[in-house]
Amino acid sequence: MKRLIAFVSGILLVALFLSACGAQTEKNTTSQNSESDSIKQTGETSKRTVHVSFFTGKSETVDVINDIINKFNEQNPGIVVSQEFQKDASNVIKVKFASGDVPDIVTTYEQEFVDQGKYLDISDMDEWWSRTIPSMKENCTDIKTGKQFRICTNMTMAGIFYNKEIFQQLGLKEAKTWDEFVNNLKVIKEKMPEVTPWFIPGKEAWSLGHLIEFLPHGYIKQKYGAVEAKKAFLSNDQTKLDFGKVGGSVETFARNLLQLKEEGLINSDVISATYDNHVQAFANGDAAIISQGMWVVSSLLEANQDIAEKIGFSPYPSYMNDMQPVVLSAEDSGYSISAESENKEEAIKFLNFLFQPDNQKTYSETVQSPCAFTDVDADWGVLKDEVTSALERGYNIGFTNEKPAGFSGDDAGRMVQELLAGKYNSEEFAKAYKEAWDAGME
Amino acid sequence: MNIIGRCVRITGIVFICFIAIIPFYVLVFFSLNAPPRVFYEGNIIIPDFYFNNFTEAWVSSNIGRAILNSVIITGGSLLLLIILSSSAGYTIARFKNKFNKTVFTVLLTCMMIPGIINTVPLYTVMRSIGGINTRIGMILVCTTNALPFSVFLYSSFISSLSREIEESAIIDGCTWFKAFWKITFHYVKPVTAAVVILNGVSIWNNYAQAVFFLTKRDMYTIPIALSIYFQQYAGAKWNLMAAAAVLGVIPVVTVFLLFQKYFMKGITAGALKG
Amino acid sequence: MYLLRSSLSRNLHKFMAVPAFLLFSVFFLYPLLRGIGLSLTDWDGISSANFIGLKNFINFFKDERALNDVKNTVFFALGSAPLLNIVGLVYALMLDGNLKGRGIARAIIYLPAIISPLIMGYIWYFILQPERGYFFHILKNMNLEHLMGNWMAYYKSAMWMLIIVNVWQYAGMTMIVYLAGLQSIPLELYEVGKIDGAGYFSRLYYITLPLLIPSIRINIVTNIIGSLSVFDIIMALTEGGPGYSTESLSIYIMRMCYGSKTGYSTAVALVLFFIILIPVVLSLRIMNSREVERI
Repeated sequence: MKRLIAFVSGILLVALFLSACGAQTEKNTTSQNSESDSIKQTGETSKRTVHVSFFTGKSETVDVINDIINKFNEQNPGIVVSQEFQKDASNVIKVKFASGDVPDIVTTYEQEFVDQGKYLDISDMDEWWSRTIPSMKENCTDIKTGKQFRICTNMTMAGIFYNKEIFQQLGLKEAKTWDEFVNNLKVIKEKMPEVTPWFIPGKEAWSLGHLIEFLPHGYIKQKYGAVEAKKAFLSNDQTKLDFGKVGGSVETFARNLLQLKEEGLINSDVISATYDNHVQAFANGDAAIISQGMWVVSSLLEANQDIAEKIGFSPYPSYMNDMQPVVLSAEDSGYSISAESENKEEAIKFLNFLFQPDNQKTYSETVQSPCAFTDVDADWGVLKDEVTSALERGYNIGFTNEKPAGFSGDDAGRMVQELLAGKYNSEEFAKAYKEAWDAGME
Repeated sequence: MNIIGRCVRITGIVFICFIAIIPFYVLVFFSLNAPPRVFYEGNIIIPDFYFNNFTEAWVSSNIGRAILNSVIITGGSLLLLIILSSSAGYTIARFKNKFNKTVFTVLLTCMMIPGIINTVPLYTVMRSIGGINTRIGMILVCTTNALPFSVFLYSSFISSLSREIEESAIIDGCTWFKAFWKITFHYVKPVTAAVVILNGVSIWNNYAQAVFFLTKRDMYTIPIALSIYFQQYAGAKWNLMAAAAVLGVIPVVTVFLLFQKYFMKGITAGALKG
Repeated sequence: MYLLRSSLSRNLHKFMAVPAFLLFSVFFLYPLLRGIGLSLTDWDGISSANFIGLKNFINFFKDERALNDVKNTVFFALGSAPLLNIVGLVYALMLDGNLKGRGIARAIIYLPAIISPLIMGYIWYFILQPERGYFFHILKNMNLEHLMGNWMAYYKSAMWMLIIVNVWQYAGMTMIVYLAGLQSIPLELYEVGKIDGAGYFSRLYYITLPLLIPSIRINIVTNIIGSLSVFDIIMALTEGGPGYSTESLSIYIMRMCYGSKTGYSTAVALVLFFIILIPVVLSLRIMNSREVERI
């Protein structure tokens, strides 16, 4: 009997101990549900605290957004905005949606969510659209419905980063065509054997996926224009896309890449080189060219402050006969409101606050990319001039959001890894790419 | 053991330790390097002994709070785990009735099930009981995950212990239940130590579930805090990342050293004689 | 009343497994059943799930990438599980018994297993990266760099590197279980053996091993399960790459789950379960027939 009491009290003690630990956190969770509680408690019309959840996957903006959130919360008693950051945001959001735990504002945007009606239609938010650059509304338009479900506050660019000092020393000029590009690489390799001509971080599937975005897809987007290209991607219109065709954009891309590898014009350890490696290499002058976007600039500067004046930025050279050089100029920092949110008004209120010019100025300067609102003048980065001129010299393309649900950018990147590891020749690659795209469409 | 045998043994041990410690050594090496130092410049064996990294990492990664959370969750889980799994293991080993056999088979089978099947439905369950972002919720999940293996360990060992150890007490009027806590539990101290060490570590390092169930900054456990901290630096500040990692490992190492003494031969000899 | 109470307390031992089972049912069995239900649907994680019967399973056997992953996973397990056991046992034998500083030695050997796989990933890759890693630089300083090629470029070398890293990291865990088992073998048995003139290896074979069967059983089962469900090590070192050449089944399951093939991924997880089930049941059968009960 004594033992029974002891056993049961042991369990109870454990339970008590655990609940003592949990008590603090219980308070937090119960305050979350206090909406209905506080209405019941005070009989008269009382202010209920509205909780707005802000879900993001961008680690570099966590702090600046938190500052803005704190200011907003202070100025708006009765509304409490809180930010949740998740590293694997696009995975976590799926679980959240699946279990009914819907954040009010999200930064993740995917075609399949649009199709499922997960986002609020914000096409009529004229107070926002009237302030953005004209192309923004078009960029944010969902091709299938013609409506807008997200708004982006910034633009980001991607292209060829090159070391101006090395180019000057060797008398090289920006390449407009692929042949010129290869030639530059050859000169660098010959005259400066210690320097890697083009450093590709092949271990990062997403980075290789970007190459596919900018080169083969870039060709398509440029040939047919943004809207037609998007339609072609969505409907898998192979007459336009021509993925499997020998001599088409995909096969030529693969052929060129293999040629570079054979001639030693890219780093020999491409399949095991990391993002970090290539940042270090470029920053220290051990690599002459990398393909990246503006997001890499802060890492480069951290690795080596002096590289700032040496960074040159140019569009990607054209590699098909009927192609112009392209440069990525895509919308970035997008916000959507969940269609199932119960706090839409408050969410909009917060976004209004976030979009105010002074807040946007701070944000843009933190993320080092230009703001899409016309009334914001931010000094957003060291490459401001380089980039602005590159945008004029190349055809501007955006990201391909209209990818098949089952074939992501990472998957495309992994195929490129296989290519570099010698699994395919260029024709087989083109065929496999087409098959994977088709399969992903189901 | 003769001299040569001893020498061979000691050399062997030193060699193994050397190999095992390399990754940890690299970690500590980086945590002690001053910031501007590029990887391979200078000496690659002796670091700079720059301890500032630790203070900076402690503050900016908020790892103090994360350590507290990890301690509470791991400690709570282990406590619950030991009580539940040892008692279950005992009855399964000793009394082969239908219920026990079923429980054992179910637990063993479930040990082989890949965790990902559960993720989404479990998230829904946790939400409905209000367990998200609570330490108790996390404790219950971690204990559940560790149950099959621990029950397996306990039942395995207890079944190889003769029933005589309890029978002498039973004859004196004790119940089987009491006999477990009074006698058997002490015999399986090494197993308890193994359970604590093995499960403690995997609960401490749990990332796959913690990342879903603990989303608020003040609820983060160490793996989450570290992963977010790493993300913000994306490999640029190795010294800070390494310092944060070392801070996250120290509690585990300490507990290990405390518990591993249960593996000293001598405890059983004492218990048998006494 | 007393009879009732004493009857309860006398029979309490029969219910000792109930609390554990209760907890397990709520937090594991129930989600599991719902998860299994998912494997019979075409759920993509967002829209509604439609029942499609066994189609997922049929598709699995037609999926080249999935079958290749099975090959990778089995290769890994065949290399990893036996090595983990042997190495762990050797370590435990060396560190058992009276030896100064054995606590520290055990701690050091166990250390790699303690550090979370997340961090270990960075460290391992940093040490082993072809042409840029710490290890490569040390070889370079000794002019031996040609010994280490690009191990990621070839299937066999990549897989073996993964196996070695896995054993290196987790042998400590196997060792702990063997230590627990070793130390519960009474010293008298060894004394008797020595008196009878048995040498070290005879004592090992005739006394230690048979009495160690509970530990061997546990370790074999855990290592088989762990090796077949390998995720962290491969993700950290190669991410399944280059391409998909070193992808394990668990990684494939995760990618499918978040790649809009959630129903399918659950079905593959069930297939993995069966792949794990068979060797485990076999080993348990073999072990149980050799078990020795002792005092």
